[in-house]
Amino acid sequence: MIATHDTIRSTIYEASLALDECRWGDWLALCDDGFYYAIKAFSPEIRYDMTYLDGNRAEMVSMCDLLPKHNTDRSPLARHTVVYRVAVDESDASASAVSSVAVYRTVLDGMASHVEAGSSNLFLVGKYHDRFRLENGDAKFVERIVQLDTRRLDKGSHWPI
Amino acid sequence: MPARNHKRWNEVPGELREGEYIDSRIYSDRAIFEEELAKIWKKSWIVACHESEIPEPYDFRTTTIAREPIIVARGSDNQVRAFLNVCPHRGNTIENRPSGSFRNGTASGAPRHMTCMYHGWQFDMKGNCTHISREKEGYQNRLSRNDLGLRRLRCEVHFGGFVWVTLDDAIGKTVEEWGAGCFDCLQKHVDAEPLEVFHYHKAIIHANYKLWHDTNSEFYHDYLHYHNRITGFNDAYFARQNTGFENGHVTVGSFEVQYDKYEGFESRESLSFPGLPPNHWYMIDMFPGVNFNLRGSALRCDIMTPLAPDRVLIEFRGLGLKSDTPEERMSRVRHHNSIWGPFGRNLHEDLLAVTTQQAAMNEHAEPRRILHGRHENNTIHDEIGMRHFYDEWGRWMNRRPSDPEKPYAAAA
Repeated sequence: MIATHDTIRSTIYEASLALDECRWGDWLALCDDGFYYAIKAFSPEIRYDMTYLDGNRAEMVSMCDLLPKHNTDRSPLARHTVVYRVAVDESDASASAVSSVAVYRTVLDGMASHVEAGSSNLFLVGKYHDRFRLENGDAKFVERIVQLDTRRLDKGSHWPI
Repeated sequence: MPARNHKRWNEVPGELREGEYIDSRIYSDRAIFEEELAKIWKKSWIVACHESEIPEPYDFRTTTIAREPIIVARGSDNQVRAFLNVCPHRGNTIENRPSGSFRNGTASGAPRHMTCMYHGWQFDMKGNCTHISREKEGYQNRLSRNDLGLRRLRCEVHFGGFVWVTLDDAIGKTVEEWGAGCFDCLQKHVDAEPLEVFHYHKAIIHANYKLWHDTNSEFYHDYLHYHNRITGFNDAYFARQNTGFENGHVTVGSFEVQYDKYEGFESRESLSFPGLPPNHWYMIDMFPGVNFNLRGSALRCDIMTPLAPDRVLIEFRGLGLKSDTPEERMSRVRHHNSIWGPFGRNLHEDLLAVTTQQAAMNEHAEPRRILHGRHENNTIHDEIGMRHFYDEWGRWMNRRPSDPEKPYAAAA
């Protein structure tokens, strides 16, 4: 059991590293064929559960493949991820986890780089709600819901969080 | 053409005439900014929110216009009213949440009332002062509740259920008159049945509010957007018409967007607004800083709140029909956010572009000319939209956009 919990934690942290380094293929390799991804937030302003971005695995692959064709703020994002809770269902070969995530942006461009480049700012905070399929000691993401607290997102991002 | 020396750099390029370029100081000068708040933003109809954000009696929403705190509330009679969100006693904001309901009491106040938590003064939903703590003991007969109603603001629900508010009691125009016909292209589609907001997020960016309005009203910058090039650039796209209306408003005509040309995106032909052909795309830019953008299945509304010469708050809303099924709603959400959400393909690019534009217009930097001189028979890449806006701006400010130290004069 402990090894399985460690596997889940390790997979979440590997995903954070891959995302931080914009290794989209490595991130998607951690995801099951039936993977679903969404960035959500509840808005107290309009009192509504919002979905800011979502897609299945094929749609996320397509989105990442097309990134070079878009004009993107190249300022790196760094995720500070802490796994809070892991629950494993051995009978179903599945697991779920809740992690806290804070994402910092270190300015490279997107504004007056002479003045701003090199400064790090908090971009967003929220939680990862992950579900996994377990097979042969391995864990694959079948779902990641990024539940944001932040709704003032300024320039936003083209990148998955 | 070689790179230019300082003298050549400061000359009007080519044969451009007044009205076809702007002095960059109007995007960075602090005095001009303060004047804009007083002369334009305090004198215009501004969208505060959408009525679906306050669906029930006693629901409220707070906002600001030109630094003034505003509260919009739905009364027990279902009427939407707006007030300054300021207690007439000590000047506190009365309500501090972004939204909520007065139906239940608060820690300091009674149900169905707006209550200032500081000293417990209460107001009904029409803005009447109904309770002053220890009124007679403190004020005897010198001051009564009748003297202490809230500051009422003119408020109308119009153009698809948006709540319009003005700080100017003497504005002299209804919202319909203020629109001057610019909403005709969409009005029957958005007024056919109630709309509902499904998306909200905010951006505060380092840019003058007019730069955001510019990027909404000129489509020449579609070269910025891979999505728009791949789904749009065809004969019908290049034939879209820009039309100017009184009061500085501009519309951009429609064409059929080929959404499925973008890998991973689907056609939007199965979902639209009542009476609107599928996959169409209209744009309405209203002076001084409200924008409506309807792409087939989703209506987007940007509301600008200028914060400083180089800083603007933009509130982004997405709307569908209140009658949507869950499946229809999810489609509208996806269609809206895949392009216009905070993680969408286009919005990030637009925000990036105007921020880098402002980065070269620092306060007290050498003024330079921003060119608005494209003429293409008023079609999509003609910059008539911006020229129309700045001519209106010049009249309201009595300043010449090409040289703001000179009084307004109509462009030749």
